[in-house]
Amino acid sequence: MTQIFKIALLISFGIFILPKKWKYAFGLVLHLMVILGSASWALDVFTNGTVTIDLGVTTWSGPIVLIIDPLSAFFNLIINLICFCGIIYAGGYLKPYMPKKRSVSIALHLFSFLWLHGAMILVTSLRDGMAFLLAWELMSLFSFILVIFEAQRESTLKTGINYLLQMHLSFALIMLGFLMASAQTGELSFEGVAKYFEQGNNTSLFLLFFLGFGIKAGFIPLHSWLPRAHPAAPSHVSGVMSGVMIKMGIYGIIRVITMLHHDLMTIGIIVLVVGSVSGLLGVIMAIMQHDLKKLLAYHSIENIGIIGIGLGIGLIGKASGDEQMMLLGFAGALLHNLNHALFKSLLFFTAGNIYYAVHTINMDHLGGLVKNMRFTSYAFLIGALAISGIPPFNGFISEFLIYNGIVNHLSTAVFSTFLLVLVALLSLVLIGGLCVFCFTKAFGMSFLGSRRMEYPAPVQEVPSIMLIPAGLLIAVILSIGFLPSFYGGVVINILQNFNAPVSANISDTIIHTLGNIGHVNLIFVSVLIVLFGIRAWQQSKVKQASGPTWGCGYTAGDFKHQYTPTSYADSLRQLADPIIEYNRHYTSFDEKEIFPPAKKFHTDSKDLIEEKTILSWVHLIVKTLPKAGVAQSGLINHYLIYPMLFLIIISLLTILNYL
Amino acid sequence: MLSLILILIACIYFPGVIVKTKAIFSGRKGPGILQPWFDIFRLLRKGNVYSTSSSFIFQISATIYLATVFVAALFVPFEENNAILSFSGDFVFFAYLLGLGRFLIILSALDVSSGFEGMGANREAFYSMLMEPAFFILLGSLAMFTGYTSFHDIFINLHYNNYFSAMIGLIAGYVLANITLVETSRLPIDDPLTHLELTMVHEVMVLDHSGYDLGIIKIANNLKFVLFSTLSANCLIPQTLDLTIRIIVFLVLQVLFSAGIGWLESFRARNKMALNAQYILSINAISIILIFVVIILKNKI
Repeated sequence: MTQIFKIALLISFGIFILPKKWKYAFGLVLHLMVILGSASWALDVFTNGTVTIDLGVTTWSGPIVLIIDPLSAFFNLIINLICFCGIIYAGGYLKPYMPKKRSVSIALHLFSFLWLHGAMILVTSLRDGMAFLLAWELMSLFSFILVIFEAQRESTLKTGINYLLQMHLSFALIMLGFLMASAQTGELSFEGVAKYFEQGNNTSLFLLFFLGFGIKAGFIPLHSWLPRAHPAAPSHVSGVMSGVMIKMGIYGIIRVITMLHHDLMTIGIIVLVVGSVSGLLGVIMAIMQHDLKKLLAYHSIENIGIIGIGLGIGLIGKASGDEQMMLLGFAGALLHNLNHALFKSLLFFTAGNIYYAVHTINMDHLGGLVKNMRFTSYAFLIGALAISGIPPFNGFISEFLIYNGIVNHLSTAVFSTFLLVLVALLSLVLIGGLCVFCFTKAFGMSFLGSRRMEYPAPVQEVPSIMLIPAGLLIAVILSIGFLPSFYGGVVINILQNFNAPVSANISDTIIHTLGNIGHVNLIFVSVLIVLFGIRAWQQSKVKQASGPTWGCGYTAGDFKHQYTPTSYADSLRQLADPIIEYNRHYTSFDEKEIFPPAKKFHTDSKDLIEEKTILSWVHLIVKTLPKAGVAQSGLINHYLIYPMLFLIIISLLTILNYL
Repeated sequence: MLSLILILIACIYFPGVIVKTKAIFSGRKGPGILQPWFDIFRLLRKGNVYSTSSSFIFQISATIYLATVFVAALFVPFEENNAILSFSGDFVFFAYLLGLGRFLIILSALDVSSGFEGMGANREAFYSMLMEPAFFILLGSLAMFTGYTSFHDIFINLHYNNYFSAMIGLIAGYVLANITLVETSRLPIDDPLTHLELTMVHEVMVLDHSGYDLGIIKIANNLKFVLFSTLSANCLIPQTLDLTIRIIVFLVLQVLFSAGIGWLESFRARNKMALNAQYILSINAISIILIFVVIILKNKI
């Protein structure tokens, strides 16, 4: 099976020479080969335990060996599932681009998509520092190429370069982390990191990794690439990037967390606070957006925040010796990775369907799509309910695990951790409420009501190839909702491989509770069926009618009287004004204007966090650096003075040696 | 099972009690206690009128709303008598299940492309978002006080006969009563009888529902009201009393609560819209104070 994986990556270069119409089919076959090769390792792990695979490739730092433990296998399966859905979806989504794009750019796109898939699999399996960093870099590079698919637009290219730069900052920080560990232990690998952590002070090295991986994951304030890159990329790419690629950052953080030995409380507090802030600000920013994909991108930040809260709760539980809270927090965080991958890619794919059908994803222009795009709207509705953490869907299960950890810990009334747990509880609850607010807006404004603008052409449902992945994802979402004890068991088994296994008693209790939720979900569905049965029976006896919407006495209303996304968000905006900068741009009416011409009104909101933490520094640097240009006089005699000054300073510094 | 029966009994008479109280205070004789239910049954026999701009959401929302409230009712215990469903952390499920019903009602309001209903939808989403922390923190502090994490275990262990438990029961009952008012759109947040669409919250969302679906929504609202007031009563009724006495006390409490709402709705106007957020946040503040009191008590005793 390993051979299939290798062959797929080797022959992938052939995609450049194939004729244009065969490229997609070839790409699909390659993806299937990669899935077949790599998923077999993961399935092997779940039956036989950790697997070691020699790829048969030797680099300067030795042979590349894949070590796949249950944690890697879990991420491996998520990657394979979402990438499979992504490549199927691309079959429909890329069709309109086929005649427009040059053959080589289509080839490059599909090639990068495959290699992104392969690189992510490698990231989860490699333990050697050099090889890991190489795979990490491949992942960033190929995702960069995918983001700039529509590079003819200047904004897309600019976004891509911004993304590339931030990813290299992330790369540098992770490399620094590995180097710091290897300077102490002599091993440039995760084993070296583990040994470093055994020796003492864990916080500084953890922070390095947390920053590095956190940029990929999108924790606030390291998030600024996310809301730019996701809307710029084509939908199958944003689905995969948001669904799994940002999870590679989480994978890295979890991998490092498994190795921690000391300072657990400090680290737990840091992760919890960053997670809570990301969750809350992410969802508040999401509500302010007009662009559906940007809204979803901010929701990725929010969900990464929820994962952060789970990890923080787990760490605090471990530090304070509350095994149940530790297990519940980590289990919730891990399961939320899978859940978020499922519903976020589902939502991005359906947002792509909207773009495909009406060529805009600005919610101010959408509306009424439910009548023409039935299946897309079902899929989006299920995604929206799942991401809001509403039962009987999957998002609830992982959030429930975290809640349960928090509430169980609260019931022990320990004073020292009380405030932290309260913060986690408050943020989770608020995130849940805000999420409902946001997704009633997103679904209601895009799909329900009447259209807000004239659509260029009659709206049609997208081709069925773009709906197949949605169907697959919904099936998995429902399976988690109705069989939570199975998935909970899988996640808890993975956690038992962490350095401190938990007694079987506690894990059995958790699985039992999850089983209860599964049963209640079934009860709910049966109640629903009975009630719908009664309704259908009653409706068959009486006459149905339809008429215009009640206009409260005003009969000349039309679609322009509907609520808009901006007005829906307005009540929250008033409350959240200090943390978002909200601007109205308009020209007011003059008193003397008897026949005023058409006026424009436009609102937007700024990301104040990005503004304050990143852009203000950038502006400062841009302003001060030109002053250093004084030194660049262009005169050769000046330039000779610089090395001389340098040498003098160096020789003066040697005096320090004798002091 | 007992709790479900009690909830259903209270559900029968409480809307009538409210109407009757208001009638008496305004000097009228008023309709019989069961009149609100006769109105609902009349609605249930009718067909629906659908707005031309509505979709499948509009048709499924009312039924799903009722189903969520009904299943949520199965979680509510009556003191030591088992709720039908119970597990560790079940109140999280309870709150999120009610969230599903709310989500669909909000969507059905947006479905008919009416500006008024959009306004109501926005308010409902906003207020319930603000209200949720109060509920969770309250239950968190009760869990902390009793050391248990499900409705059933919490209410069994809440009253162990000292002044602290009586005090905490009282505050919790008060906060839950306030949550009831907000969740079921009563004064001072919302006036169910207002005739101006601009100032409605819940009622404006269901402006376009009619016939059978409107009846279903009214049933669900009544049930939801009793759900929350039963939780509140659970905090207030001491467990040392005999079961029959407790049942009587429960039913009387429900009457008093309904009469209190009737009194409130007769003698005061609803809040200005802008004050609602403040009002809800002050309820949150009470529950946060409560949780701090509990942590101090637990570590002191």
